[in-house]
Order: sequence, then structure tokens, then C-alpha cells
Amino acid sequence: MNTPLLVWIILAPLLGAILNAGFYFYHIKKQKVSDKIFSIIGTGTPLIAFLITLYLFLQMREEGVIFTQNLFTWISIGDLTIQMSFLGDNLAIFMSMFVTFVGWLIHIYAIGYMKGDDGFGKFFAYFNLFLASMLILVLADNPIILFIGWEGVGVCSYLLIAFYYGNKENVIAGNKAFIANRVGDFGFLLGVVTLFFAVGADSLSFSTIEANISNASTELLVLSGFLLFVGAMGKSAQIPLYVWLPDAMAGPTPISALIHAATMVTAGVYMVARFHFLYSGIENIGLFIAYIGAFSALFAAVIATKQQDIKKILAYSTMSQLGYMFIAVGLGFYSSGLFHVFTHAFFKAMLFMGAGGIIIALHHEQNIFKIAQHRAQLPIIHFTFLVGVIAISGIPPFSGFFSKDAILAAAFQEGEYLIWGIGMFTAFLTAFYMFRLYFIIFVAPTKNVSQHIYTSKTITFPLLVLSIGAIAAGFLNFPAIFGGEAMVDAWLTQLNSNAIHMSHSTEYILMAASIIVAVAGILVAYKKYAKFDIYKPESEEGIIANKFYVDEFYDKIFVQASKKLSTFIDKVVDEKIIDGFIMTVCNEFVSFGKKVATIQNANVRFYAGFMLVGMSCIFVYLYILLGL
Amino acid sequence: MISLSSYAFVSMMLFSIGVIGVIARKNIFVIYMSIELMLNGITLFLVTFARYHFNLDAQVMTVLVIAIAAAEAAIFLSVIILLFRSKKSLDTDIFTTLTQGENS
Amino acid sequence: MMADIVFVALSIFAIAGAIAMLVNKSPIYSALGLLITMLSIGGLFALLSASFLFMVQIIVYAGAIMTLILFILMFLNIKEEDLPKEPKKYSLIGLGVLLVLPLNILVLKAVSNLPEKDLNIVEGNFGDIKPVGLALYNNWLIAFELISILLLVALVGSIVLAKKRKPKENKGEQ
Repeated sequence: MNTPLLVWIILAPLLGAILNAGFYFYHIKKQKVSDKIFSIIGTGTPLIAFLITLYLFLQMREEGVIFTQNLFTWISIGDLTIQMSFLGDNLAIFMSMFVTFVGWLIHIYAIGYMKGDDGFGKFFAYFNLFLASMLILVLADNPIILFIGWEGVGVCSYLLIAFYYGNKENVIAGNKAFIANRVGDFGFLLGVVTLFFAVGADSLSFSTIEANISNASTELLVLSGFLLFVGAMGKSAQIPLYVWLPDAMAGPTPISALIHAATMVTAGVYMVARFHFLYSGIENIGLFIAYIGAFSALFAAVIATKQQDIKKILAYSTMSQLGYMFIAVGLGFYSSGLFHVFTHAFFKAMLFMGAGGIIIALHHEQNIFKIAQHRAQLPIIHFTFLVGVIAISGIPPFSGFFSKDAILAAAFQEGEYLIWGIGMFTAFLTAFYMFRLYFIIFVAPTKNVSQHIYTSKTITFPLLVLSIGAIAAGFLNFPAIFGGEAMVDAWLTQLNSNAIHMSHSTEYILMAASIIVAVAGILVAYKKYAKFDIYKPESEEGIIANKFYVDEFYDKIFVQASKKLSTFIDKVVDEKIIDGFIMTVCNEFVSFGKKVATIQNANVRFYAGFMLVGMSCIFVYLYILLGL
Repeated sequence: MISLSSYAFVSMMLFSIGVIGVIARKNIFVIYMSIELMLNGITLFLVTFARYHFNLDAQVMTVLVIAIAAAEAAIFLSVIILLFRSKKSLDTDIFTTLTQGENS
Repeated sequence: MMADIVFVALSIFAIAGAIAMLVNKSPIYSALGLLITMLSIGGLFALLSASFLFMVQIIVYAGAIMTLILFILMFLNIKEEDLPKEPKKYSLIGLGVLLVLPLNILVLKAVSNLPEKDLNIVEGNFGDIKPVGLALYNNWLIAFELISILLLVALVGSIVLAKKRKPKENKGEQ
């Protein structure tokens, strides 16, 4: 059903970004603009987007329709037409709901976090632009529009990571994020092209591709599916393109919360779900995706156990949870994966915002041992942090339990016991390192307590709202065996997800197993860290603490190699060979000209002699010509 | 016995010796005298053809040529005096200011 | 018969004088050689029934121009060391001979294709002063006037060029 409202979900934050940018220019060129104006525009527009989404959602629940909106024909070449149109079906509205809601809360949080910063207006302009791009991605009707949003979020991520660009490391981190994403984007683009080539339809919208997918040969579909997943690897930080995510923590915490926890990194999961009609047919690629997800989850969890920076721990934890989501969508359980995206957005954003609150309160201290040494009294943050940690560990009845358990059950049901085993062990590690974080920061005995604490309502209000979500969101997909309605699964039936149908006893046993594993992790962490001597921090040596030296490995193989290649091409090929060749040709001409010029030696007899030579030649020719 | 070819032969010989003199000798006087010799060779040719075609126009032309040679002699010798005064030498190879080569 | 012998003798004198002019190192000897050539050519003019030209040649060329050359030669007081060194004189002369050969062959071949005619001395007033004068003033008047202007210019020019300069010596250096 056509509606003119769909595009306003995107336009509202986009206009907010433009307005904020305009005001910011005015602010730095002419006259200071008050922070209040930036805040109002910056938080008002996501709220508008959320309200429109909510309205459409309620209408969809009532009448069961799908919304579309076609703006104009964008590209029309030969047989191919690409429309600039948006699709508001169940999946898109589902994603858009929590993206706008969590985004709105984080914008409010950012008011308090960025208070007093010079680039306040710039921050909100970028932030709104990011939200607009993410919504373009989610509401797109065809992969090309999706790619616009895909690229847009990459750009905004880069702009925001390098927000404090005075510090060179931030800029390097921003570059790293953008370049790693670029590698993924290249794969994505190749995948779209392959898909277009394989399907051969006259339009590229998702519905057309879905309808014509039987035209394509399986090999091309496999290739296309793989390439599209390469894009997801980059955007959602899975092995091997994950290296940018820990470094991206150099940006301000609100963006870590929004971009690298709740929204951008889930774009890969959304993309796989969106292409469900493609991935359902090529199960090998799906299995490959699941394995990558499993190994990324394990890898990240292992590294997180030895990290000492609070934001890096949370970043690896994000990567780990994304691995879970990919296990789900790889095995065909799209709605379970998306449900985990939903719950993860709540508790991860909350954890990040809590961490940000602590960091601000202690004047930008990020090392957990130092934070513990200057522990401050922050009751609300303490409470919400605890809620988030319990949720992510998978303890019922908090939301993380339901979503994670669904994924593990899916793996078990499909017979992928290796993935199930990795998932269980990673759950153990997740509980372990999250509670390690909690115990060190809040529980281990410390001598001094910091007095100067800064916190404000804009920081605590979003935390409280999200904690409600973290606790309660699980009930949205309450599994049937407990008598719930599994509303999320019901909402996302378009994806034809596989469903869990095991015997009840098997399900109970699996749930118990995951609870035992999580509790075991908590106990081990309690034993080790509850009474930890924080004045002797853990060492930073060892393979795990150095992130398995992956960054150094990539640096040697890719960065140094391309530097060597560039230097080689510059110094040898460009200067010596090409320049040398051209300059040699030039110099040869010049020297030849100089040699010829010596004929002009101002000796008149010489000139006369030469004239005579010429004339003699003419006379000889004449003699022959006249035939005398 | 004496035909046109004999006179032509004599005049071409004189002309050629004049040309050779301009190229081969460095002495400015010799060059000048070679030029006069060339002119003389040509006047001989002209007069021969005047007699051959029985036409007086060639002889008139010869008179004019001789007049021009006289004027040229005056100028040429004045310039030789100038050059000799400045360079104190009769060599034509030393005037190289218009050269493009090494020494300009 | 007589004319042939005279012709041969005069030709030999002319060519010998020319060669003497070409080869000699001292310019005075060259000038003398040229003088002989001029006189011989005058004789050849007479043989060709151009009596007026014979006289003009002797008067102007041999009498005025050669005298002027000899006069300048002695005026400049040329010594042995002023003369340029010419090491490659004969090789250059040989080269010149080579270069000038095609022209000669061409012209002589062309001339030999013309029809035969008798070139004996003509009676009457063929080359006499009156017919030449009439032809000059009737058909060639403008040329005559221009020649007189030319002679005036040459006269003035030679004086201007050769006069002693005022103390600005660099003017003569150009």
C-alpha cells in the first residue's frame, strides 16, 4: 500500500543533519549558537522518525498491509530500471522501530556526554546523518538503495570515529574502519552485480529478484551469496575483516553505543535476512556463514577475557554476539537471529552508555583497574550496568537468555554439534569476562572513592529506559513451550525462517545446559575477581592479551606489502622507467637539435658552400629530368 | 670553327672559377675578386648571345651590369676597410657573432 | 682563321689569369691575374663585334675597378702576418670543382643543342656606340635612370662607411 509517510522516516533525521550543519557553520563563522538548539534539532528528529514508524507499525498490525513508496525513477538504462523507492514491510519496520527508538535514546544521552565540547553541533549533524543513512539501508526497496545507506553509515562511522581529529590515533582508527569496510563493500558490490547478472531481470528490487531467482544458475548464486556475505563480514566485524572494531572505540562513547553496538554492525545480519530467498537455496554458504559466526564469537570472547580497556571489552563482546546472530541466520533461523539483534541492541547500548557515564565521571579514564582505583558512587549506572551484564550472560528471565537460547537450540537441532559446542563455550566465556568487568569496576575492594562525580539526567534517563527493555524484551518472543506467543517470530513470517520443533524435554535440557554454563562462568569470575587486588593489574603480555597478533599480521602482509608496492611503483616505475623514458626521448631530441644547430656557424663561405651543394643536386636532377 | 659552344665553354669556366674562389679562399680580397670574375663570365655569355641572336638588348644589359659592378666595388671596398680597421685581419672566418654553436 | 687563333690565345690568357687569381696567396698577385683576365675578356668582346663594350670593359673594369682594388690593397698596408692562414686551400678547391661540375655539364649540354650559327665579326654598326646608345635610351630608359641613382648612392655610401669615426670607437666594432 502506498504511503507518503515512509520517506519522512528518513527525511526527518536527514533534515536535522542539514539544519545542524548549517547552524554549525554559522556557529563557527559568525556567532555562537547555543547548544540547546543543536540538542533540540538533534533529538527531535529521531523522535519524529520513531513516531512515524510507530504509527505505521500499529497500522500494519491492524490491517496486515505492507507499505511502499516510490519517489522517482532513478536509473533507466536499456531494459534496466532502478527506482528510488522504499519498502516498509514487516522486517523493515521491525528494524526501523528499534533503530529509531534506541537511536533517540542515545541522542538524548549524547547531550549530556558531549556537553561543553566545541564540536557539539557538528557531532549532532553527523549523528543525525548516520541515523538517516541507517534508515535508508533498512527501508530500501532494492540492493542499490541499500548500498547507498550501507556506504552512508560507513562514511558517518569514519567521520565520528575520527571526531577528535586532533589526535592522530583517532584519525588512524577512522581510516582503518573505513578501509576495512571498503574491502567488504567491494565484495558486496560484486555480489549485487553477480546477482543482477545471474537473475537477469529488468529491475533490481528485492521482490523482482525473489520472483526471478529460479532463472539463475546455482554456481552464480553461490558466488553472489558469498560475495554479499563478504560485505557483511566487513560491516559486521566478523573474521577476517573485524580488525577495525576495537580501534573504533577511539570515538566518543555515544557513537560506540549507537553505531558499533546497536545499528551499523547489525546491518550485515539484516542484509542476510533480507536476502533470505537467496540464502535459503544455497545451504553451503549458509553453513559457511554459521561457521564464521561461531569462530568469530569464540575468538572475540577469548580476547575479551584479557583486555583492560572497558570499551575494548565491550567491543569484543559485540563482535562475539554478532557471531551468534550470524550462526542463526546462516542456519536459516532468520527471525531468531533478528530477535537477538533486537535484544542485543538494548543491553549493549545500555552497557556502552553506562561505560560512558563512568568514563565521563572519572574524566576520561578507560582502564578498568584505574577506574576501580578511583571508584565513584554512581548508583543508577551501577544498577543498569548490572542489569546489562546479567542480560548478556543469558540468565533468565532477562532478554538475553531467550534470544541466545533460541540460537543454540537451532544449532543443536540442525545437527551442527560443533557450532553448538562453540556456542556453549562462548556463552561460558561471555559470562566470565562480563562479570570480570563488573566485579573489577564495582566490587573489588578499593581504598579511595572519588568525590568529584559528574552525571546528569540526560545520561541516566536513557539508561533506565533501556534497562526496562533489556529485562522485558525477552517476553516479546516468549517461546511456545512456556505458553508464550512468540510474537517476533510471528511478525517475521515473510522470511520463511526455520522453526524450532524439538521435543519439549530436549528443549528443557538445552535451556538448563545454557543456564548452568552461564552460572559457571559467573562463579569462576566471582572466585577470581571479586576480591581481586586491583593495585596489581594483570599483565599485558601473552598472545591473548595481544589479540593473537592479528593486527601485526595484517600490517605485515597487507599494509607493508602495499606500501612497498607503492614505493616501488613510484620510485622505479614512475620515476625511472616512465619518466626516464620520456625524458630520454626529449633529451635525445634536444641534443639532436643542438647538433643540427651547429650548422649555423656564421661562416658565410660555409653557407655559400652549402647553397652550392644544394644547387648541384638540383642541376644533377635537372640533367636527368631533361634527358640531355 | 669557333662556335657558340666554345664561347659558352670559356664563360662557364670563368664563372666556375669564380664560384670556387668564393668557397675555397678565406682572404676577403680574393673573395671579392672572385665575385667580379663571376660577373665577367656572365657578361661574356650575354654578349655571345647578343651576337648569336643579333639583338642589341643583351649588350645594353651588359652595360648596366658593368655599372652595377662599379657601384658594388665602391661599397665592397669601403666595407673591407671597415672590417680591416676593426679586426686587423683579412680572414673571413673570424666573424662568428651570429653563430648558434658553442661560442656565440 | 686568324680569328680562331686570336680566340684561342685570348681564352687561354683569360683562364690562366683566373686560375692565377684563385691560387695565389698574395692578393696583389691575384689582382694582377684578374687584370689579365679582364683585358682578355675585353678582347673577346671585340671578337664578338661588341666594340663599344670592348672599350667600356677596358675603361671601367680594367681601368677603374682593378685600379681601385690595387689602390685599396696598397692603402691597407697588408703585411705577411695579416693574411689568413689557409691550410686546406687545395682540397677545398678540389671539392669546389666537384660541386660545380653538374652546372657546367648541364649548361654546355643545353647550349650544344642550339642550332649552329656563324659568329664572325659583323660589319656595319651592330655593336657600335650609336646603336647601343639608341637602344639604351629608347628601350631601357628607366633602368638607366635607376642606375644613375644607384651610382649616387654608392658614392655617398662609400664615403659614409669609410670615413674616420669620432672618438666613439665601439661604433666601428659591430
